[in-house]
Amino acid sequence: MTQLDAVVIHFPDLEAAELSIWIERRWVEPDIDGTGNWTFREIDIARVRLIYDLRRRMDVAEDTIPLVLSLLDQLYDVRCTVKAMTQALKDLPPEVQAAVRSALKQRNMDL
Amino acid sequence: MLASLPRDGIFSVKMKDPYEILGVKRDATADEIRAAYRKLAKQHHPDLNPGKRESEDQFKAVNAAHDLLSDPQKRARFDRGEIDASGAERPPERPFYRDFGDDAGRTKYRTEAAFDPEDIEELFGRAFRRDRGEGFKARGPDAYYGLTVGFLDAANGAVRRITLPDGRTLDVNIPAGVNDHQILRLKGQGMPGIGGAPSGDALVEITVAPHPLFRRVGNDVVLEMPVSLKEAVLGAKIEVPTIKGPVSLKVPPNSGLGTRLRLKGRGIAGGHEYVEIKVVLPHEPEPELEEFLKSWTPRHPFDPRAKTGKT
Repeated sequence: MTQLDAVVIHFPDLEAAELSIWIERRWVEPDIDGTGNWTFREIDIARVRLIYDLRRRMDVAEDTIPLVLSLLDQLYDVRCTVKAMTQALKDLPPEVQAAVRSALKQRNMDL
Repeated sequence: MLASLPRDGIFSVKMKDPYEILGVKRDATADEIRAAYRKLAKQHHPDLNPGKRESEDQFKAVNAAHDLLSDPQKRARFDRGEIDASGAERPPERPFYRDFGDDAGRTKYRTEAAFDPEDIEELFGRAFRRDRGEGFKARGPDAYYGLTVGFLDAANGAVRRITLPDGRTLDVNIPAGVNDHQILRLKGQGMPGIGGAPSGDALVEITVAPHPLFRRVGNDVVLEMPVSLKEAVLGAKIEVPTIKGPVSLKVPPNSGLGTRLRLKGRGIAGGHEYVEIKVVLPHEPEPELEEFLKSWTPRHPFDPRAKTGKT
């Protein structure tokens, strides 16, 4: 059983052929091991589930998937950045945190 | 209805009426149920709502309702009261993409537009410069203001007082020759610093108001000067304005449209003033002039429209 088959077994109506097309289009990017086989990490499988939900459950058109994934990737990147900044802020002295919070409040933002 | 679901309310969710959860009538067709489900799935999918923790429960409830109602046998048994809503199979727990997508250490599926961690450090470093062991200090932020000055003040320099939003006043020294949209930086006149650190700077953007007579081209000043027909033909000494006051200018004989006279060093910061001659005919009838022109044969006839290509 290839890694591809081991992944699609979790989905009632997903064939290895369709999954390999998703990989070809770089919607999912599993690692390649020394023997040239795909290796799926947890994040890759979660991404397959996401694409599966978009296609099967939400009926998102195939040619719209890249748009959705691109927007989601940007959203998650921004969330990572905000998270990192919030963490960095927590390491700063309380008066700085207070100053940043009040500056954000003036701009109607909140951390 | 869905928005008020409790965080760990999967049990109470499952007791809810699946028709109510999907927002469809009890006699809804399979297509109506599917359409309602797709709409709610798009709305509540956790990966599309990474900032909304409750979306996971909402999505599960919608899935459970759809699982029950999309299966004709289960739906019939539910309608007959043989099973209640909790008879639906509990969807297996699964990790969502957002559980990984939010991971700051994530290296996969990053877009190029993402911030570099070094950018963030730089951002913080610039905003909060720290002095070793002396507690926290931060230079105050810069403050931005706009100031409109007259053409002559901009050309010759001036001091203008502006009143800041907090009631303070600030004397702005406008250097001679300041340009439209130029920004003047006033050191230490911005917002106060934290912990004894210096204040930020005030940045004042200058807008130069136009002048009714003068036009600025680089450091030169251009001025259009009306002269009478007699002055143009015979030459004259006239008084012309400059940015520093009127000076006398000699108009040579036979000046006209296209004559450009230079007043050396009378422009801005070493530039010149150029006076463009504009001949103005008499406003009232001049019978003698008319009589003269009727009998006048030019010594050097020429066609003033020769170059317009329309003759």
